[in-house]
Amino acid sequence: MITLLSIILFFLLLIVGKSRGVKTFVTFYLSIILIITYIILMNLGFNAIILALIVCILASCISLFMLNGYNLKTLSSFISIMLVLVLVFIITYTIGKLSNIQGFSSDSVETIGGFSYLINYDMTKVIIGMYLICVIGTIIDTSISVSTSMNEVLENNPKIKEKELYKSGMNIGGDILSTTINTLFFAIISSFIGFFMWHKNDTLSYIINHKVFAQTIIELLLSFIASILIIPITSYISSKVLYKKKLIKDE
Amino acid sequence: MKLKTKLIILFILSIISIIFVYNDYFLYSTPIVKIINIKEEKHNNDKDVYYNQEIKGIIQNGKYKGSTVKVTNTTSKSGVYDEQIHKNTEIFVELSNDGTKVNSIIGIKRDKYLVILLVIFIDLILLVANKKGIKSLLSLSINIIISIISIIIFRNNYKTINILLLYIIISVLFIILSLYITNGKSKKTLSAIVSSIISLFVSFTLSFIIIKIFGKDITIWTMEYIEVIYDYENFFYVSILLCGLGAIMDISITISSALNELIEKKPKIEVSYLIKSGKEISKDIIGTMNHVMLYTCYSSIIPLVFLALRNGMILSNALNFYGSLELITVLTSCISIVLTIPISLYTSIFILKEVRK
Repeated sequence: MITLLSIILFFLLLIVGKSRGVKTFVTFYLSIILIITYIILMNLGFNAIILALIVCILASCISLFMLNGYNLKTLSSFISIMLVLVLVFIITYTIGKLSNIQGFSSDSVETIGGFSYLINYDMTKVIIGMYLICVIGTIIDTSISVSTSMNEVLENNPKIKEKELYKSGMNIGGDILSTTINTLFFAIISSFIGFFMWHKNDTLSYIINHKVFAQTIIELLLSFIASILIIPITSYISSKVLYKKKLIKDE
Repeated sequence: MKLKTKLIILFILSIISIIFVYNDYFLYSTPIVKIINIKEEKHNNDKDVYYNQEIKGIIQNGKYKGSTVKVTNTTSKSGVYDEQIHKNTEIFVELSNDGTKVNSIIGIKRDKYLVILLVIFIDLILLVANKKGIKSLLSLSINIIISIISIIIFRNNYKTINILLLYIIISVLFIILSLYITNGKSKKTLSAIVSSIISLFVSFTLSFIIIKIFGKDITIWTMEYIEVIYDYENFFYVSILLCGLGAIMDISITISSALNELIEKKPKIEVSYLIKSGKEISKDIIGTMNHVMLYTCYSSIIPLVFLALRNGMILSNALNFYGSLELITVLTSCISIVLTIPISLYTSIFILKEVRK
């Protein structure tokens, strides 16, 4: 089934995107291998959070440099992504530690019932790592959109001032924000209907404080926050980097 | 000055809502106990460390507010299934009739962390995107309201209703409302709505047929919450339908507004040139969009596959049992994304050019 879908995806990408489509397919599967390797290394006992940060850095390299090529646009995106990653890490770590959302709830008893729960590995770290990997895709996407468009603005309007360039970055970011939020909302919420059916007779206060509800809503809000934070940071860094390049060119 | 006042109001509102949620005990009818003291007894199992906790806490609401109670809890270092209770954690409990004993722990109070993140999110979106931020928030709230209504409809008729049909109708509603709210009434919006709906139907029909014919090996039984859904096969199709929905809208509006811009600048622009530049734009978005779907959806397999591996299951089995449904969802979403590009390109050109004549 998965092979069949992969083949269909490959041919569609080939027809629609040509060589770029093939590159997309290769990087797509590299990313899947990256996530699976992450789980294997965790199983060998490495620290889940440090591993997740490494995965995020590698994921950015794959998406930026392999897919979009090495240039000033992708370089300034890369710097911005690293900065946002630090900020998101701080928020994720604090909330993850405090809110007790590690592991599974009694809802999953059918699925995980056969397993031993004493696994000698802190599940808090696993969920923090999962959140970091979850948000990296949207950070990369928003960042590269903003920096590409800013480069376009600079090329069409070479006399633009650095501050105006920054402002146009913020403007573009604001435009794509609503669709990004939409995309994330449906991607994350799509598997959530079952939860409400399971708890159809429970009170609202029970549902709001439930572990699975908290896990999903925190995932959703963290990815929203990450995709907003990346906008001003990319606008600032790109305006600095791209403007400096223009100044050197002018001289 | 005006901006400053707005910032101050925003700041004050944020602080008030956080203080409120830290003291919202009166909203709950279930007794809440705030932990003040924990005595732990450590046990070393051959595989893990676990603790027997003797917990002392103060009841925060209801008839017995203010009195101290004792609870016992078992927790492990791993925390796969148990609740890790620390000092200052707040827990929901079931009290005995006279309010002196705790019968059982119901769960942990987590609402404040959700509200803190929600406040950060709203503050950031307003600071970064101003008016556009308000529009995004509005469209998000409407999506949430539609979702809640759809769940209520399904909940009340779950024995008779066809869940797939329900969510196909709801999806069309999602498309029309969210694109209309964020982009206003224009030809651009109209063409984005039409191309989203066409793309959704084409790509979903394709996935549906493929899975119906070739999907005999799908491990639907590993899907969470499957036991409560009568129509579990359609339940899986619904998650496929919804997962790529946002991405389809994203691509449709990107392509239709880019083409609209080109046509507005040069009303006599040729169709062949529009197709060419549309293809250029789509090449830029196709790759990173696929990565968004992958990282956002596929990351959710991590805890379960990891638990399976830790329990000695071999990798291929663990991935097959606990990761294949997510991968199928991601792959079908990516197929929708790729299909949306040519569909919305030609639909947009047709609508934007035709309506002009």
